[in-house]
Amino acid sequence: MPFCGIHFNLLTRIIISIEKAQRILGGNKMRIALAGNPNSGKTTLFNAITGKTEFVGNWPGVTVEKKEADLKRKYSVKGESIRIVDLPGAYSISPYTSEEAVTRDFILGESIDVIINIVDGANVSRSLFFTTQLIELGIPVVVALNKHDIVNRRGDKIDAQALSKELGCEVIPTTATSETGLSELIKKVVEVKESNKVQKALKFENQNTEKEDLGRQKLVDKIIGKCEVKSRKASEITFSDKVDRIVAHKWLGLPIFFLIMWGVYTFSIDGLGGYLSGYFNDVLFGEIVPNAANGFLENIGVNPLLQALIVDGAIGGVGAVVGFLPLIMVLFFCLSLLEDCGYMSRVAVVMDRFFKKIGLSGKSIIPMIVGSGCAIPGVMATRTIEDMNQKRMTTILTPFIPCGAKLPIIALFAAVFFPTSTWVAPSMYIIAFVMIALGGLLLKRLFVWENNSQFILELPEYKIPSLKHAIIQMFDKAKGFIRKATTIILVCNTFIWFAQAYSWQLQPVQDQSLSILASLGSFIAPILIPLGFLGWQLAAATLTGFIAKENVVATFAVILAVASEEALHVPGGALTGFFTPVTAFSFLVFNLFTPPCFAAIGAMNSEMGSKKWLFRALGFQFSVGYFLALCITQFGTLLLYGKTAVGFVPAMIILIVMTMYLIYAIKKADAKRNALELVGESA
Amino acid sequence: MVLSKAKMGETFKVKEVTGKEKIVKFLFTLGCYAGEEVTIISKLAGNYIVSIKDSRYAIDEGMAKTIVLDA
Repeated sequence: MPFCGIHFNLLTRIIISIEKAQRILGGNKMRIALAGNPNSGKTTLFNAITGKTEFVGNWPGVTVEKKEADLKRKYSVKGESIRIVDLPGAYSISPYTSEEAVTRDFILGESIDVIINIVDGANVSRSLFFTTQLIELGIPVVVALNKHDIVNRRGDKIDAQALSKELGCEVIPTTATSETGLSELIKKVVEVKESNKVQKALKFENQNTEKEDLGRQKLVDKIIGKCEVKSRKASEITFSDKVDRIVAHKWLGLPIFFLIMWGVYTFSIDGLGGYLSGYFNDVLFGEIVPNAANGFLENIGVNPLLQALIVDGAIGGVGAVVGFLPLIMVLFFCLSLLEDCGYMSRVAVVMDRFFKKIGLSGKSIIPMIVGSGCAIPGVMATRTIEDMNQKRMTTILTPFIPCGAKLPIIALFAAVFFPTSTWVAPSMYIIAFVMIALGGLLLKRLFVWENNSQFILELPEYKIPSLKHAIIQMFDKAKGFIRKATTIILVCNTFIWFAQAYSWQLQPVQDQSLSILASLGSFIAPILIPLGFLGWQLAAATLTGFIAKENVVATFAVILAVASEEALHVPGGALTGFFTPVTAFSFLVFNLFTPPCFAAIGAMNSEMGSKKWLFRALGFQFSVGYFLALCITQFGTLLLYGKTAVGFVPAMIILIVMTMYLIYAIKKADAKRNALELVGESA
Repeated sequence: MVLSKAKMGETFKVKEVTGKEKIVKFLFTLGCYAGEEVTIISKLAGNYIVSIKDSRYAIDEGMAKTIVLDA
């Protein structure tokens, strides 16, 4: 096929040919893109017509990547196969935010057959700006006039026929949340594709001049005048506004936020989630499953070695982690409700003035709240931050919030060393906040960048969170968790079990310290001495934590189950041989503040934009974790036990070196700053 | 008069939007440009809550200073 008139280089030609071949081989599937304003209901519609469970949150910037899936069979018109692509929200084709760039690049670059433009019925006039731009792309557009339930509830009237006439393309009223109008929508889309007609671009004044956008807005106003009748002025005070006055209040806002988050975590960890998890850990995986498995395996006469592998290695390790499943599920259920009702944008408003002090904006709180479930979507959520430096800083600080995978570690140490205190788990979050604040301030001083945070965020109307969606999210997360447990963690555990039972010569060992794992751990162990952590076991556990944080618990379960028969979680159990309460707390902090698991590091890599920054980020995170653990162990032991801890001398040396380096780095940054004459330090 | 000095609860016409081009364009697509109406709903936690077209937005002091109103 000739590419006349277009200058492509050879490589691009080859790639395009391959893609074309793929499409032809794939049966020329029809491809439909969903485009529209943020928060207009694209992802809800996407989930409804594809059967997927992509995350829907009631704040702008939830969808940060394009997502693809096939149309559900129930919606297909003649049984053909249709591919749907959900794009991040955009207000226009010329991008200000990175989500808008994805949308623009995608629509202009890929072969889309039909665009479904989802127009937010709650704000038609703003949505139409983008619509008029989409109409000009030369691809057939069908408008889904979404949130029709809200339009009716408000008493507004939108004439879909008139709108269709004005725009020159089909307009179908829909309500994605109740799946109303969706079959008509798809039918219309297929009709439009088969008729091979493309709508004409709309004419308006000042086209192709620099006043083009103004002309476009005037056209939109004219169209709205003909098609929409509002029942009340948009500037009237609504119920949402009244709630905001309290929830986003200057003084009340912050305590309310903490109260809500405390409620979510207490309910998940101490309440329902914790109760069920306790049962799982103590009864189900502590007795029932291992006893049944042992009985069964003995009865069928399995080799005792294999039996140990299965019961102590596989079941023991995985069981230690899967026991936490109920807790994780309840947490995600609550977070989903919170995120769905629209409160998150208000949190960003409340936190803005605090984040400004460390050079960020209120938007940075959202990745952190998402990160409290899992750091991976948390880090990805930083894409809504336009400023690259603020984005990097938020990416570095987000993993400090304990994620769901770290909860088993917290629970384990709290149960064994601090069984009667309820302050241990909350203290981890408080330390996280403090470190985010301090870390932010430190980053601001260490790196030279301009400080110009401008904050604008849409506040969507509050809505009753969907229980259905929360339940779907909960089971989705549970599925993912079990998948992770039965693959990564299981494989890791099997290896760990093997590595602690055998020597390098592949001979079984009675004494663990002669095993493969012991020698691997001993390699790393010296680094941990200044932190007061002795023994290859601790090094091994920390290392496995990078594959998945849950592994720290699983690894202990495997290593120690062989050494002693007591269940791991009993107060004063097997772990007490390795730690004092002070060093236990320190170990907890160390594992929580070092760089996150590899998967999360991968997400960080995508967001940082360069390897140089990725290594800076990892270096920073590791230093923070190391420094904190060092201080807690050394000074804590001094203060509480009145004697020096193990590794005191090397610890002090390291401390002095670290401090000196820090002072040096700050002075260097200050000099650079003065040289550039940046007077951006507002604090 | 800039938006940060405007009275709460009142509606104004925008006179002009100053500042970086990217941001001016972004505000434009939301409906904030010369001739359009903007209502100041309230001031919460240091941010201004404004109503542009049919939506609510929270903007900080810095951004509020770039929007000049007709009054």
